[in-house]
Amino acid sequence: MEWFDTWGLPLIVFLPLVGALVLGLIPKEKEDAIKGTALLFSLVTFGLSLVAIGLFDFGADTYNTYQFEVNTRWIPAIDSNFHVGVDGISLPLLVLSCFVVLLSIIYSWDHWEEPRNPRAFLMLTLILLTGMNGTFVALDLVLFFIFFEVVLVPMYFMIGIWGDKAPRKIPGFSRIVETRLYAAIKFFLFTLFGSAFMLLGFLALYFRSGEFGARTFDIVELTDLGASGAFTGTFAFLVFFGLFLGFAVKVPMWPLHTWLPDAHTAAPTVGSVILAAILLKLGTYGFVRISLPILPNEAVRWAPVIAILAAIGIIYGSLACLAQTDMKRLIAFSSVGHMGFVMLGISTLTDVGINASIIGMVAHGLITGLLFFIAGSMAHRYHTREMARLGGQMKIMPIMGGILGFTAMASLGLPGLAGFWGEFMSLVSSYNPLDGLSLTVFRSAMVAGAIGTVLTAAYMLYMLQQVNFGEPGDEWVGHHFHDVDRYEMTAWVPLIIFTVVVGFYPNLIFGVTNDVVTSLVEMAFQGGSITAGLGG
Amino acid sequence: MTHSFLFAAEEIAHAGDGGWWADTAGIMLVSPFVAFLAILAFGKRLRYNGAEFAIGALAINTLWALVLFFMNMTEGVLREPFTFKVGDIGSGLVFELGWAVDGLSIMMYLLVNLVGLLVFIYAVGYMEGDRRVPWFFAAFSLFAGSMLLLVGAPNLIQLIIGWEGVGLASYLLIGFYWEDHENVNAGNKAFMVNKLADVGLLLGAVLVGVALGTFDFAALNTAATEGHAGLSAVAIAGGALLFFGAMGKSAQFPFHIWLPDAMAGPTPVSALMHAATMVTAGIYLMARTFPLYQQMATDLRPWMVAIGTITLFAMGLLALVADDIKKVLAYSTVSQLGYMMTAVAAGGYTAGLFHLFTHAFFKALLFLGAGSVIHAVHSNNMSDMGGLRKYMPRTYATFVIGALALAGIFPLSGFWSKDEILATLGHEGYTAVMWIAIAGAFVTAFYMTRAVALTFHGTYKGHGHPHESPAVMTVPLIALAIPSVLAGLLNIPGVEWPGIGNFTEWLAVRVVPMGDHHAEAIDFFLAGVGTLAAVAGIVLGWLIFAPDRDTQQERDRFEVPVLYPLFRRKYYMDDLAMGISRFTMGPFARFVNWTNTYIIDGIVNGVGGVVYHLARFIYGGVDQRGIDGIVNGLSAVADAAGSGLRKLQTGRVQQYAASFVMGAIVLVIVFVLVR
Amino acid sequence: MNQTVDYLAIAPEIVIVVTLLGVLSLDLFLPRQKKFWVATLAVAGTALAAVPLIFLAVDGSTRSMFDDSFVVDSFALALKGLLLVGAYIVLLMSVSYIESDRYWQGEYYLMILSSLLGSMVMASGRDLIVLFIGLELTTGPLYLLAGWRKGDIRSNEASLKYFILGVLSTAMMLFGMSLLFGITGVVGFSELAAVAGDYAAEPAMILAVLFLFVGFGFKVSAVPFHFWAPDTYEGAPTPVTAYLSVNSKIAGFIAMLVVLYLALPDLSDIWAPAIWALSALSMTLANLSALRQRNIVRLLAYSSIAQAGFMLVPFAAAAVADADLAEGFSATIIYIAIYALMNLGAFAVVIAGARATGSGDIDDWAGLGRYNPRLGLLAAIFFLSLAGIPPLAGWFAKFVMFRSVILTGGSGPIVLAIIAAVNTVVAFYYYARVVKAVWLDPVPDGVEVREQTAPAGSLSLALGLTTALTVIIGIFPAIATVFADASQVLTAAGG
Repeated sequence: MEWFDTWGLPLIVFLPLVGALVLGLIPKEKEDAIKGTALLFSLVTFGLSLVAIGLFDFGADTYNTYQFEVNTRWIPAIDSNFHVGVDGISLPLLVLSCFVVLLSIIYSWDHWEEPRNPRAFLMLTLILLTGMNGTFVALDLVLFFIFFEVVLVPMYFMIGIWGDKAPRKIPGFSRIVETRLYAAIKFFLFTLFGSAFMLLGFLALYFRSGEFGARTFDIVELTDLGASGAFTGTFAFLVFFGLFLGFAVKVPMWPLHTWLPDAHTAAPTVGSVILAAILLKLGTYGFVRISLPILPNEAVRWAPVIAILAAIGIIYGSLACLAQTDMKRLIAFSSVGHMGFVMLGISTLTDVGINASIIGMVAHGLITGLLFFIAGSMAHRYHTREMARLGGQMKIMPIMGGILGFTAMASLGLPGLAGFWGEFMSLVSSYNPLDGLSLTVFRSAMVAGAIGTVLTAAYMLYMLQQVNFGEPGDEWVGHHFHDVDRYEMTAWVPLIIFTVVVGFYPNLIFGVTNDVVTSLVEMAFQGGSITAGLGG
Repeated sequence: MTHSFLFAAEEIAHAGDGGWWADTAGIMLVSPFVAFLAILAFGKRLRYNGAEFAIGALAINTLWALVLFFMNMTEGVLREPFTFKVGDIGSGLVFELGWAVDGLSIMMYLLVNLVGLLVFIYAVGYMEGDRRVPWFFAAFSLFAGSMLLLVGAPNLIQLIIGWEGVGLASYLLIGFYWEDHENVNAGNKAFMVNKLADVGLLLGAVLVGVALGTFDFAALNTAATEGHAGLSAVAIAGGALLFFGAMGKSAQFPFHIWLPDAMAGPTPVSALMHAATMVTAGIYLMARTFPLYQQMATDLRPWMVAIGTITLFAMGLLALVADDIKKVLAYSTVSQLGYMMTAVAAGGYTAGLFHLFTHAFFKALLFLGAGSVIHAVHSNNMSDMGGLRKYMPRTYATFVIGALALAGIFPLSGFWSKDEILATLGHEGYTAVMWIAIAGAFVTAFYMTRAVALTFHGTYKGHGHPHESPAVMTVPLIALAIPSVLAGLLNIPGVEWPGIGNFTEWLAVRVVPMGDHHAEAIDFFLAGVGTLAAVAGIVLGWLIFAPDRDTQQERDRFEVPVLYPLFRRKYYMDDLAMGISRFTMGPFARFVNWTNTYIIDGIVNGVGGVVYHLARFIYGGVDQRGIDGIVNGLSAVADAAGSGLRKLQTGRVQQYAASFVMGAIVLVIVFVLVR
Repeated sequence: MNQTVDYLAIAPEIVIVVTLLGVLSLDLFLPRQKKFWVATLAVAGTALAAVPLIFLAVDGSTRSMFDDSFVVDSFALALKGLLLVGAYIVLLMSVSYIESDRYWQGEYYLMILSSLLGSMVMASGRDLIVLFIGLELTTGPLYLLAGWRKGDIRSNEASLKYFILGVLSTAMMLFGMSLLFGITGVVGFSELAAVAGDYAAEPAMILAVLFLFVGFGFKVSAVPFHFWAPDTYEGAPTPVTAYLSVNSKIAGFIAMLVVLYLALPDLSDIWAPAIWALSALSMTLANLSALRQRNIVRLLAYSSIAQAGFMLVPFAAAAVADADLAEGFSATIIYIAIYALMNLGAFAVVIAGARATGSGDIDDWAGLGRYNPRLGLLAAIFFLSLAGIPPLAGWFAKFVMFRSVILTGGSGPIVLAIIAAVNTVVAFYYYARVVKAVWLDPVPDGVEVREQTAPAGSLSLALGLTTALTVIIGIFPAIATVFADASQVLTAAGG
């Protein structure tokens, strides 16, 4: 399989794009051909990502070494190359994004929001996949930036065209706009704002790298420089801040999160699924891949801030959920809390913490993705998301209700399901973060996180009580509902299975990540073992 | 005061390893989950709605449990836990799953499986023709499975998994009749209270695990006995947190509030939940980590004893005024759990577990009996009962046995285990607590007598014609009555049964040899006082409640001015808890949501608004009109520049020209400033 | 002192002249219905002019004549190439457009060609005189073209404003130049560069620079000299507007930059703050004004002003920081080149769109993507590219801009960079408004969608070319960097 070493990643990244172009050539009317092609391309891409796992040499996986590396000239004038590769950190996320998109395409087989137009929708979906995969494998800052931005446009259109048409009064403004329009532009402007500063940060790094040899955007080289303590002082402080803005908006971290509830709520089902399952991870991934290794000292300086914001996010998000009446919006806010745990894990700068963040990302991808699928299918049937009007779903649609119940339990971090490990481990790691980090801050954050788990349970049960239990409202009586159909089943069952499997065998993830993560914290932070320094 | 865990060491010396049965003991942890899935898949299509799978699984388990139990009796069974790694999370920490095989676990295996099996069989009859029977048995299997996962856990991680699994199952079963929001609320309450307490368990696990670099119980106990520096640093905090968790599951004051509401589920659920599974988990955890509290976190013990004591006495009193028979039993459970906790905390490892053991049988018996009654009269309220002894003799007989056992009447099992606790308390120097416990025994006897009298004596107050339950329900009653009578004999002070020794020794079989005070001879004084208290309670109760009246209320006239309302309102604990949650969480949530919409998002939209208005000003004001002012100021220049243009239709050009000159002037200024 | 004429060097200009005469004569005796031959000839000629250009490029040697006042180096070639492409695309847009209002076709192409000729000469001009001649030849015909739609009062108004203000500015610029000559006694850039520094203290010198500035400010319609632009752009025929906003703008820019960069580098502490201010003002005010536009052409007018601000950023940054101008200069050139392509595309879309929707109001474009997806897609591409969204060419322009500012460093540049960053976000909003109208908004009720005809072949060709370039450069920006490399020769010349 030599060919894979050179062609594997480029194929995984660009095949979906090719698919999108092919779709463009198929006449609009031939819907089955369109769906088939889209499915085919996403299937092949997913297959390739599995091949990547198969051929990945786990033994050789360590700090700042990448596999299936491709590094060719791209924009010589600005010393930027097309440099891609994967390691144990990006591999799971890469597979996850291929997986989720595949399921989304299966799901959307006969779920089309108005105005239908499957061709356009699937094209956007595939372009999204290219953008996300590209971000996960990019090893050049410019390349990373490009892919990071590429995902914006399709998502903008998804939200804007297929989004929620309900009118929406914006507080403080007289005029009323459709939710989708407000959400779409808000999403775009927020991210653009963040990434503008991220770009300045990248350029600053590039500029400073010149003082230690040739200027470079190459993440690998910059990581080496960073490890050798090249970037310090106010300069590095500001650069980290720039990157922080870029990534934190995407994660999203409190208080830069307000685009998320609107975007998630307004987006069409598949849109919210991809948004929640993958797009948010681009931010957290950016922290792990770029901020931490390249600016370790700054990471240490910023860690407490991140931890505090994360802790606030956990509590804040959960409380906000308790006040929601719109089911989709509740789920959206739950992401703020869950990603808070991920960020808390990262901020501890320990191997356990970063492992926690990665499994947290994967779990959140599986579980919240599934939640949004279900919410979408329910809205599809009830034509409302108001939980007050729903109820007694276990009577109306037992299977749907059952799956919702399962997913809710997974989402509240029930041990034995995927969601638990990320939360528990970020608590473990924040009990004893990297030496030199304030124990007060991190242990307070740990307690906040622990309380957060209770609140999470509270709003999930609240949702179940409203939606699943009790007697169905009068408006649904005598109204026939089609319980989970076969496309939904096909799309959901794999997610359920993985949630359980990862729940009982988390090594599925740790096995991939642990080596590189451990060496990462050792090299970047000379330590990062949480059991060190205590007792022993 | 601490123990030298030397006792029973020699028993350990020649302990066997359980052989094939121990190697395959994991089956017990898996089979209920298999049953769970099987029932979900095929339950509907089966004659008994999947009970086949549930019972089958537990039957197999019971076989294993019995074999191991007997092995442990005869030679003692101790094996390094069987574990396999499921997660390598860095910093040398690993997550492992597996199953422990030692005295304690084996005892719990037997208890959970045996009682569970009987309850399952009973449930077949009880749930006949009820809603969603397959789902009932599925969730029931999940319940048993999680509990086995918990008691079989070789480390804290697996314990947590089982722990919350039990919580989930209880949530599902308490809210089993979810059409009625009351029941759902009860389920939520149970789940939330437990979840709150679980914070303690989680953080405790974190502290201990990080300090030790492992989550293994064996390592924890060894470290505790050997005085591991890192562990002793966090012993108090970690111990307190773990205990916090235990309080929640074992419904210790003030976390007891969820337990009475948990009666919303079908009666077999209550039986299992209160006897063998769920509520015993906390006690089990305390026993599992016994050395931590006895060797390191010794300062915690008085507090733990205090909480146990409050629970055992205060909660018993509540049973005096309950009308719902299941509530009576529920409060009695809480109170009995208080006994166990007190004992374990005071250092009575065996005493606590022995009471857990015996209590499991007679409490299951009592609940099933109550269920049989409820099944007959279709009501939980004793005010609708009375005189049932004629209609349902078997139920009556077994129920009375259970009641006497609970009251601690010689020679029933309750007598021995309660006596063991009293003895331990005395021996450990908690004399005051001991006397409270004796008073508690009086209360216990009193309310059980009341329950029996109101339910089975006098005349029937309910509707319809109650009749004895089918064999499928009564047989388990009888089956449970036997151990309720005999189980006590396993641990008679000073008695070494030939070849098998006694309960104390069986439980002592641990990686860290576990041993504690076990009286060498019966302390007749204590036994006497205890029995006296019980008898007094029975007599008094009988005098008050036996005489028949037209209505139950009249029989149950016993309203001490202050206390009665206090008890009825459960010391206002529930109102307090509900009030707190309602008046904190709700407003907080709304506040946060408000800030989100109007502050944070307000800023965001505000920026948008500012730009919007700025744009209006710049374009409308400056770009298009503002020039006028300039022009008027510079009309001369305008004239010069635009003299030729006046005839033109368009009025703007002069302005533009003027702006030109303006620009020029601006630039001059810039230059001059810069120079 | 060589007076020999290197004909190969001026071959492109010659070709244009010939074409120009050809168009003139052809127009005389062609019957009206055959006029399209004129267009064909013009287009063909413009394309043909590229041939010698390529020769020269391949040859690569720098050729100069008339005492180095007319130089053909790789920089000049690159610019001429750009100007040719621009003009070529504008001509393509024009064909169907001009046909539709039937009259003065011949003259139209004549004007365009002569303006093109002027700008090409300007690109090679290395002294004030040639520069001035070239620049005026560029703008002169445009005064007429702006008023081409004689029937339309707004068109007349447009051309008149343009004319009067243009003349005013020309006067100022000329005055500035003469002052410059008066003080230094030389007109050649290299000579000026040599001596100008000595007169830095002279107030007259300041005045000279000042007047030059005002002149150039007008040509590039930078704030506060921009007021004519929106009205003129709106009034003039759209292809002319395209030409105004691309070719003549480029010409003005090149003139200004070349003078400042080659002739007056030593006076940078005089003009640097001014150009900094010019850049900042243009970005901010134009962007804010653009937010308020309902007419798409007016929107593009303000957008092009704002873009002018962005273009100046690197050069201004380098200047205020007293850093080596070369870096900033080449960045600016790259920006100009990319801007030219995508802006032309945008105008082509406007022409096609106006035909498809029958209106120039953004609101009337609502739902265009629904009933004409192809055109909708193109609109999205160009407006997002203008907004600088990857992977469309625009991102690279913005990227290079920020890059060179960061490389320059220092407070002045950083402030400018932050202003630019904020403006990028603001700008996105109004570009997105067009995309939103086209794709997100439903077709307004009561509007009956006219049946969609594919745009004329020539226009489609223009669209195709610009789209291809925008996307390809977006993905392989290396292509655009030829301009950067080309501009390096100047550093050699006038560093």
